[in-house]
Amino acid sequence: MRGTKRILHVAAVDLRLMVGDKIFFFWTLAFPIMFIVLFGFLYKSSDNAPNVAELAVVNLDQGRWGAYFIGQIETPGLAVTVTDKEPAGYSRLIVLPPDFSAKIEARLGQNLAFKKREGASSQAAARVETRLYQAIARTISELILYGTGDLAKFLDGHAELRDLVVVKGEFPANTVTVVPSGFDHSIPGTTIQFIMMMVLIYGGVSIMEDRKKGILGRMLFSPLSTGELFRAKLLARWLIGLLQALMLFVVGKIFFKLNLGSVPLALLVIAVFALAMAALSLFVGSLISKEDTIIGLSVLLANMFAALGGCWWPNEIVPPAVRTVARISPAYWAMDALHRLTFFQGGFADIALQVGVLAGLAAVLTVVAGKVFRIRD
Amino acid sequence: MRRLLLILGNDVRRHLKAPWAIVIFMIIPIAMTGLIGIIFAPRTEGNELPPIPVLLVDNDKGLASKLLVSSFDVDQMKKMFQVTVTDEADGRARMGKGKASAMVVIPNGFTLDLLDAKPVTLLVVKNPSEQFLPDVVEEFMNTMAVMLSGAVQAFSDEVKGIRAMLDLELDTIPWETLGPEFGKAQKKVVAASKYLNPLLIGLKEEETKAAGARPQVTAAHLFAAVLPGMAVMFLLFIVQTLMRDLLSDREDGKLRRMMTTPLRPLELIGARIAGGWVMGLAVLLVMVAFGTLVFRVGWGPFGYFLLLAVVAAFWTAAFFALFHALVRNRNQAGALGAPIILAFSLFGGSMLAPEMMPKAFRAVGVVTPNRWFIDGAALIRDGRFPLASLIVLLVSGLILLALAVPALRRRVSV
Repeated sequence: MRGTKRILHVAAVDLRLMVGDKIFFFWTLAFPIMFIVLFGFLYKSSDNAPNVAELAVVNLDQGRWGAYFIGQIETPGLAVTVTDKEPAGYSRLIVLPPDFSAKIEARLGQNLAFKKREGASSQAAARVETRLYQAIARTISELILYGTGDLAKFLDGHAELRDLVVVKGEFPANTVTVVPSGFDHSIPGTTIQFIMMMVLIYGGVSIMEDRKKGILGRMLFSPLSTGELFRAKLLARWLIGLLQALMLFVVGKIFFKLNLGSVPLALLVIAVFALAMAALSLFVGSLISKEDTIIGLSVLLANMFAALGGCWWPNEIVPPAVRTVARISPAYWAMDALHRLTFFQGGFADIALQVGVLAGLAAVLTVVAGKVFRIRD
Repeated sequence: MRRLLLILGNDVRRHLKAPWAIVIFMIIPIAMTGLIGIIFAPRTEGNELPPIPVLLVDNDKGLASKLLVSSFDVDQMKKMFQVTVTDEADGRARMGKGKASAMVVIPNGFTLDLLDAKPVTLLVVKNPSEQFLPDVVEEFMNTMAVMLSGAVQAFSDEVKGIRAMLDLELDTIPWETLGPEFGKAQKKVVAASKYLNPLLIGLKEEETKAAGARPQVTAAHLFAAVLPGMAVMFLLFIVQTLMRDLLSDREDGKLRRMMTTPLRPLELIGARIAGGWVMGLAVLLVMVAFGTLVFRVGWGPFGYFLLLAVVAAFWTAAFFALFHALVRNRNQAGALGAPIILAFSLFGGSMLAPEMMPKAFRAVGVVTPNRWFIDGAALIRDGRFPLASLIVLLVSGLILLALAVPALRRRVSV
């Protein structure tokens, strides 16, 4: 009982020292929020916040079919700008040539130049391209249906193509009811990434400094045992990770309407993940004696784990081989569990595997960190 | 000058003896660039995405639904979609676990309703955890819907005939009357072929960028776009680490001892700044060499790039000279340095291409060295001289240096 009290006391002091650091809130809150906002806007999608894909149309057509075709392209979610010459800057552009109408009326095939600026969003380009194919399909269908005789008079009045087949999109039953916002994607990813960064850097550097300055050695003059000291340091680093996640989730809930599914289960995932990172930070901090090396290694590990684990970009666009390799990243398991909770309203059974893997990793890392934990250099 | 060079040489030797931190900081941008390249490099021509897993449920099993199912079976679609035909219960169970990007459900009575010219609805169940691929499936189905609607209406008379036949027993079908009907259908097919072969309106795609650019994006282009941003970010980290001597010498008492020698403060300051500059340039060039050899990055005219690298390394050394003159101790430098570098990198385009960022982020990015270096490197790749980047980095670097030297002199003289 006294041992537990001592562990809690040391952990609380560590936590207070870290929270008292002026820069602590930059790392734990301000900087992650910048990330959340940036990636949240990037991932913003669908009904909640419609993404508008831009298309510039250079209409050089000397007849009436150009305007008719542009009408077929126009749809909500597509910002169509019509000009009579190629603009200096554009993301996507289609050119209707001067003889566009003449060729249609003569029933001659033609290819329209569709230009995509390299580096522009491929998602928006795909949406524009699909819409162009739909417009082409609709125009040709109408011509096949009603385009007998003189096509010059076709636009004077004709019946419109009826949409006999319509497509309805929905989400699976018992999952989400509204389209997830970009922030539902960016907040869990940023939280996981910054838990890794914070716990590894702060946790690793501070244990190394405590050791080098002899603070760990002096602490053993108190009734603390080496085992208790290790557990206290582990607990402090675990609490840092938890505190950071709590702050980001609260900010996410208040300002970005974050949907986490089951909050207690989300916190369970974070708790197990943070424990694994706390043990890793003690491992790194015990092995390495240079601050810059610890920071570099922590940044390397956190970034690689975050990138592989799906914290930066949706895992769906990642090649299958990389997705398989990603399983070595603790962030992958944490993100997978959070996705199941957030997007599939999962229960404990749905995340048992992921929590189990993270708990196993935490146990292994704790044992290994305990073995290499040093009081003196 | 000799003393300055002696200190510089000694610093370089000292850092080479304990290079791990610098080596790790050099590995990070290279590793990140490699990973980004593996993930985002175009895999096959015209297909930038991995095959999209789609579940297909045919509750109708009629003529029209089979036509629709077979549309996924052509080569181009096979590259785009990885289709699994299943029943609805299994499909819903799989979608509930996020095992596919989307599930397309063809309803019962689809063919008959179409033949009766009644509206029909195709259901696309989308994976809620995915942001992009389910929409691709939905839009593909929308395109198919337009084509099916057009085909049914174009052949409405024939469709009615087929519909009537479906209600008849095989031996009661009046085969002799079908000949003229087939004749009419043939005329329509011939008429339609005027619009379809060749296609009345097609698209000719091309990718554009600045003048002189190559039209096709390759993995090397992607590496070339990513690596400069990553390299300048970690150049900042590395130079910050190297120039921390300005503080540690003071804190460890080395400075006091050094000042008892004939060494002048300006020589020491000059050596430290030159050290940051020269070593920064060296690590930047190592990253460039690695990018060239491993990722086959083309940097454009090397002379231009070397000039940009020299100026960028100078800016970085001047910035951290001023930074270390203003902070009180190593702890403060460690605490403030990394956030400043990360903020530069976030706003400046090292983490995300500027064109993908919100406008406010882009506007802030203009005051970061990352943005000017990345823009300059992009211009050089296109074969152009990065005049604006060079001027901005050089002039602001000189201003930083002018502020840093007197501030450092005060610190060194103490």
